[in-house]
Amino acid sequence: MTVAFGALREGDELPVLHLQPSLGMIIRHCALQWTFPAFFYDPEAAKAAGMPGTIIPGPFKVGLLYRAVDEWLGESGWIRQVRAAHRRPDQTNNPIDITGRVARVYEEGGAKRADLELAIINIEGQPSVRGFAVVEFHQ
Amino acid sequence: MPDQSLLTDEVRAMVGRESASGAVEVTLRGWRHAVEVYTGEVPSHTPNDGDPVSGYAIAALETDYEATELPNLLPNSILIANQWEFERPLRMGETLTAFYRLVDVNERFGGRFGYSIDFRAEVVYRDAAGAVVARSGRTMTQYDPAEARAADGEP
Repeated sequence: MTVAFGALREGDELPVLHLQPSLGMIIRHCALQWTFPAFFYDPEAAKAAGMPGTIIPGPFKVGLLYRAVDEWLGESGWIRQVRAAHRRPDQTNNPIDITGRVARVYEEGGAKRADLELAIINIEGQPSVRGFAVVEFHQ
Repeated sequence: MPDQSLLTDEVRAMVGRESASGAVEVTLRGWRHAVEVYTGEVPSHTPNDGDPVSGYAIAALETDYEATELPNLLPNSILIANQWEFERPLRMGETLTAFYRLVDVNERFGGRFGYSIDFRAEVVYRDAAGAVVARSGRTMTQYDPAEARAADGEP
């Protein structure tokens, strides 16, 4: 995908990224981060901790926000910042949607940039993550 | 809620203190693993040394670096925010120097966790010239489950 800075308008929406993070993805993420709390991959451990099932790690979600922006931005620029504020857990294997909109288009120090508002929407239609990103376009 | 603030001088003195620095490297293996984890696909190209690579690579750098343990001031701990920040794209094969620091500590009164304490920490990555290249941050909240209204957020 190619996004032209000149054509970008505040309020433009990013394509919705539909995902269904599987237990396999979560286990690979635990391996990448070398962190293994059992409630991320063991349903019984999750239930013992008071959760309905295994949940998606928060640090994994910031990477998913990055992915949504990266797939939209393509080769048009690079991502300067992604933030995720976690509001509620997401269960493994449940569908999630990552949404986004352009909040601000501006030039700063000669760089062409845009701020994006992001969200992960859970199966009940509630935001489980509120996110934010800053992208910089190639000159 | 405790009778007095848990943010003692000793805890406040931790803010801004930098850990010993260590070297981390943007490797092809780490970058490929990170891309596969977040996109579900094996990258179709192989970047050369010096090529800019997607920021997923920072997740592999995090693994290379040990963060300092936070003090346990309240019984439960939950992750409430994460952040990746880049001053420029990471480059394949580059060696960076990383250090950990606690950026801020704040008390909160009320809200969904009742009395709670937020710890905002980050790992900072610098290049050979000392310029900051990237930061990976997280905010943890410590709280007493007896005061929390609902178990929102991420463990």
